[in-house]
Amino acid sequence: MKLTARCFAVLVLMLLALPQVKAAEVLNGVKSRGQLRCGVSEDIPGFSERDANGQWRGLEVDFCRAVAAAVLNDPEKVDFVPLQTSARFPALQTRRVDLLLANTTWTLTREAVLRVRFPGILLYDGQGFMVAAAVKVATLADLDGATICVEKGTTHQRTLEAHFKENGRSVKPLLMASAQKAAAALFAGQCQAYTADSGELAAMRLRAPGGPGSFVILPERISREPLSPVVWGGDPEWATVIRWVLNILILGEEYGVTRDRLDVAIKENRNPLLRQNPYEGEMIARSMGIEPQWGIRVLRAVGNYGEVYERNVGRDSPLKIERGLNRLWTHGGLHYSPPID
Amino acid sequence: MTDFQINLTIAVFAAVILCIAFDLVDMVVAALLGVSTLIVFGILEGSDLMPIVHTAGGPLSLLFGGMVVARVIGKTGIFERIGDLFLRATGGSGRRLLLLIVVLVAPLCAVLPNATAVILVAPIIVSVCRALKVDIVGPLIITAIVSNAAGMLTLVGDPATFLVGSAIGLSFLDYLRMVSLGGVLAVLAVVPLLPLLLPKIWEARVILPEERPPVTIERPGFLVLSLLVLLLMVTLFMIGESLPTRIVPPQVAIIGAALALLVVYGVRIEPVGEVIRAVDWKTILFLGAIFTLVQAFIKTELLQGLSIQVYQWFGADLMPVAFVLLAGIGVLSSLLANIPVVAAALVMVTGYLVAAGAAPEVALAPGFVHWPTATLPVFVAMMFGGTLGGNATLIGASANVVAIGICASHGSRVSFMQFLRIGLPIAALQLSVGALYVLALAAVLD
Repeated sequence: MKLTARCFAVLVLMLLALPQVKAAEVLNGVKSRGQLRCGVSEDIPGFSERDANGQWRGLEVDFCRAVAAAVLNDPEKVDFVPLQTSARFPALQTRRVDLLLANTTWTLTREAVLRVRFPGILLYDGQGFMVAAAVKVATLADLDGATICVEKGTTHQRTLEAHFKENGRSVKPLLMASAQKAAAALFAGQCQAYTADSGELAAMRLRAPGGPGSFVILPERISREPLSPVVWGGDPEWATVIRWVLNILILGEEYGVTRDRLDVAIKENRNPLLRQNPYEGEMIARSMGIEPQWGIRVLRAVGNYGEVYERNVGRDSPLKIERGLNRLWTHGGLHYSPPID
Repeated sequence: MTDFQINLTIAVFAAVILCIAFDLVDMVVAALLGVSTLIVFGILEGSDLMPIVHTAGGPLSLLFGGMVVARVIGKTGIFERIGDLFLRATGGSGRRLLLLIVVLVAPLCAVLPNATAVILVAPIIVSVCRALKVDIVGPLIITAIVSNAAGMLTLVGDPATFLVGSAIGLSFLDYLRMVSLGGVLAVLAVVPLLPLLLPKIWEARVILPEERPPVTIERPGFLVLSLLVLLLMVTLFMIGESLPTRIVPPQVAIIGAALALLVVYGVRIEPVGEVIRAVDWKTILFLGAIFTLVQAFIKTELLQGLSIQVYQWFGADLMPVAFVLLAGIGVLSSLLANIPVVAAALVMVTGYLVAAGAAPEVALAPGFVHWPTATLPVFVAMMFGGTLGGNATLIGASANVVAIGICASHGSRVSFMQFLRIGLPIAALQLSVGALYVLALAAVLD
């Protein structure tokens, strides 16, 4: 008996003697795995889709690569996990993914109730409506009493019903399991309109049977949809890394650092973004739990925010979505980064 | 955790189970070696101590308290007197002995924690077995199994049912209305297997000697004080959580042990040190090590991470998921402590239900209780799996480990396989009964 009682005491002491609480659980997990698991939208052009060569492309995909470049020194070390809308938060909560980038709106309900963190706004969007060009619908008032396709598990269903009710109109939501199914239902004539984030509508319009021109996106927006990366709430260090990867993209554009001109800018050492005291840079990186020069790796991997935007959803993409609110604050938009120093 | 650490955790766990199953090394040594390996490879860290204490503290406190109180009451001579009554009730029949165990232990476990109940009734059962000249192992295993199954009778009968029930906002009465019948059926499912699994005891018949004069209680004052401690414990088990200062069952057990030791000290029956030495530390140490191993397994997040996978396999069809959960959690609970398994499975199930669109996104929040009625059978299936799966093996439940510890203290060593031969068929039948109940419940709620 004495022996087992002592063994029990030894067991407790062994555990007590071990290194204490380890912070940065997700960040350390990503580094020890050597791969970032990034939850992205399921096949939405401009946001996340696989091209003919099987390469992932899109705004969400580029952000994942930027994070991998910062944390793992290699933008290719990403495991892209396409997720249905309803599976987004379960995947994050059960740690199937380290980072969620699936066109997710930052809301108080999600932040407070689901205990996740939204490190910053990647894209300012709004809920819009797409209708067949041949149908005479010019404004939302023309959709009174209409059947409207909407994706299940999004904020759009509630916003849709609330908006029509507030304006004394009625609507019949037709819930679909995914964005693809909602768009297909519109194309098949099962509903008079399809409502979603306007970026998603522009993406889905590319797949319209008669070409993008056969469907139009109405000018009205019935909500603000600040789309943000999402991380698990228990690792503030990880949230900091994600927030500053986003900020470095914005600062890159603000200071005119493009992917093509990055080496020149480094060489000239005149750009305020890159002209950092090496000691301070090292100290910041060490505090963040990543290697120094992470900002340069991010910009080298994907370019600045403007480049990422225009390449995937803006003027250089088939979607050709105006930047609007997604311009920098210096150009009348909303993107603004806190300073590094 | 890295992939290496995940694989190592599973390998260590499997090695420990195999060492115990094939009796390669003493089970305490096997479990401690497993814990040591996980510490050396950085899988178990200091930060794991609190979750381990949180999970293991309750069951171990209940065991400690139950063992101390049972030892003190045992010194009064009351067990011998109750044993005599029990023996008369059997009429010398092994069959009656087994049936009486089912009838008496099940209601007792509705108010007492399972392992505590086993500790308290074991001395009586051992004395009756001796009088009937039958092996104590079978009846004590049946006692443990019935006590585990009786955990399904009420919402608070087993930590696993309470964990799931409280997570979905099921009230005590809701539970009685919708789930308790399943618990009754699970307990009754033991009966038809008794003649098949324990034929010698079932057929045993002895002519009882003439009724002897009742055992003299030499110190009635000591008996009264000891029974008052027991009465206070049972009362606090039932109402402690409703008091202004909430007292949960493990705390009740510690209070009971403290008072019982005070009685021993005051009456000077024996030194307090003797009572503490008589506690089955080997059982407590083994369970502590097993809870530690389970913490490492839970850290792999393999179970929690299955939610999306389950959705990909079964889509939004809830009934197949309910059956898979019942069987899967049943198997896991037969090898791991059911509390952390059920806790991890809850994360997985809520994730699945949200991914399947059966519940809103906010259902992922802690404390969400407005689950759609259609999801109830899934949770009830989890309760069946978590509560009844532990009956299959020696290490599946605290009550099982306690029962074999008592057997060992009476000179009957029980091997893993010996327990499995009785436990596995019963657990399989009980889980089948559970599956039918879940099916019927879904039909009624539909």
